[in-house]
Amino acid sequence: MKTTFASFALLLTTLLLYTRPAAAHHSFTMFDNSKTVVITGVIKEFQWTNPHTWTWIDVTNDQGVTETWGIEGMSPNFLGRRGWTKDSLKPGDKVSITIFPLKNGEKGGTFLRCKLADGRELVMFENPKVIQ
Amino acid sequence: MRNQIVLGLVFLAAIAQLAVAADTHGLPGSDWPSIAKLPDLNGVWEVTFGGVIGGPPQQVVLTPKYAAMLKAFQEAPAQDTPMANCVPPGMPGIMLQPYPIEILFTPGMVTIIAEAFSQVRHVYTDGRKHPDDPDLTFDGHSIGHWEGDTLVVDTVGFTPDTPLGMNMGTRHSSKMHIVERYHLKDPNKLELTMTIDDPEALAQPWTRTAVFGRHRDWTIAEYVCQQNNRNYMDSKGKAGIDLHH
Repeated sequence: MKTTFASFALLLTTLLLYTRPAAAHHSFTMFDNSKTVVITGVIKEFQWTNPHTWTWIDVTNDQGVTETWGIEGMSPNFLGRRGWTKDSLKPGDKVSITIFPLKNGEKGGTFLRCKLADGRELVMFENPKVIQ
Repeated sequence: MRNQIVLGLVFLAAIAQLAVAADTHGLPGSDWPSIAKLPDLNGVWEVTFGGVIGGPPQQVVLTPKYAAMLKAFQEAPAQDTPMANCVPPGMPGIMLQPYPIEILFTPGMVTIIAEAFSQVRHVYTDGRKHPDDPDLTFDGHSIGHWEGDTLVVDTVGFTPDTPLGMNMGTRHSSKMHIVERYHLKDPNKLELTMTIDDPEALAQPWTRTAVFGRHRDWTIAEYVCQQNNRNYMDSKGKAGIDLHH
C-alpha cells in the first residue's frame, strides 16, 4: 500500500513537472492556494526585479492602522513578454490585488491579478491553475 | 605527359579530400559554409507547457538504493529545493524552465544559453571526446554530432548535488548520462527528446520529451537571481520568505 502511494506520489511529481511552469524558482507550498484574498490599498513600490517582482502595498486595516503587504509576482522576464512593464504599477496607484495568502499569516502572498482605479486589470498568469 | 599531370592532380585532389574527411574540420557545423547547410536551430525558443507528446510523461523507475533515498526524503520532506537560494537546478532541469533558451551555432560548437539562472552550455561539435575523468559540474560536459537532421548531444560529468526531478528526493549519481536529440518538427517547433540513464540511480532509462516554440521577436534577458531574492530554504529544509521592506 505504501509502495503504491509512493509510486503515485512519484507519478504526481513527474506530472507536476509538466503542469507547473510557474514553479521555476521556488516551491509554492508556503502559499494557501485553497483561498484567494483581495487586498485593497495604495502602491508603495513596485520592484521590477529578479527572480520575482515585488509589489509593496499600503493597506489601512480595520483599526485605521496602515500596514505594508509584500506580494510576490513572476519575474520581469516572464511578465515583460506578456505585456507588463516596469511602470505597470506606480507608487500612489489605488489598487485591489487578488492573492493566494501566505499560510503563516504574515502580510504577504503571491500575485494573481490586480484591478486599478482606471478600470485596467493586470493578470499575472493567463491560466492561474498553473500554480494551483 | 599532359595526361600524367592531370592524373597527378586528380590524385593530389583525392588525397586532399581524404585529408579533409579525416580532419575533424570536415564535420557538419565545423565552418560557416557548413553551418549554413544545417537545420536552422539558431535563435530563441521556449518550452511549450501542456504540449506533452505521446501521452503522460514516463515514470521514473529508481534502483532500490535511490528509491529508499526518495522514501526517506518523503518521510521528512524538505519544503523546497536549493533553487530557492538561487542555486541553479543543473541538468536536466535547466532545459525545462519556464524561461527561454537561445541556441547559437559557431564553427565547431553549439552554445545553449538558458535564461533561467543565466546558465550556458557549450556543446562541442568538433569531434572531440569527453574527458576521461571530467570534473563534475551542474550541466556536465557536452559533445554533439549530427545524425541526418537531428543534433545529438551527449553529456556526462554531473555533480550529484543537483536533483533529477523537481524535489531533492529524486536524485541522480555522478554517473548520470544524458543523450538529447534536437529535431525541428517544423521551422518553428523544436522537439527535444532526452534519454537519461544512470547505473546507480535508475533501474531503466528515463525518457522525457519537450517541444519548444520559436520566438523570433524575443531576446534573452538578464536573470540575476540574487538581485532581490526573498525566498530561502535553510539547512534543515525549511522554506521561508523575507518580507522586510
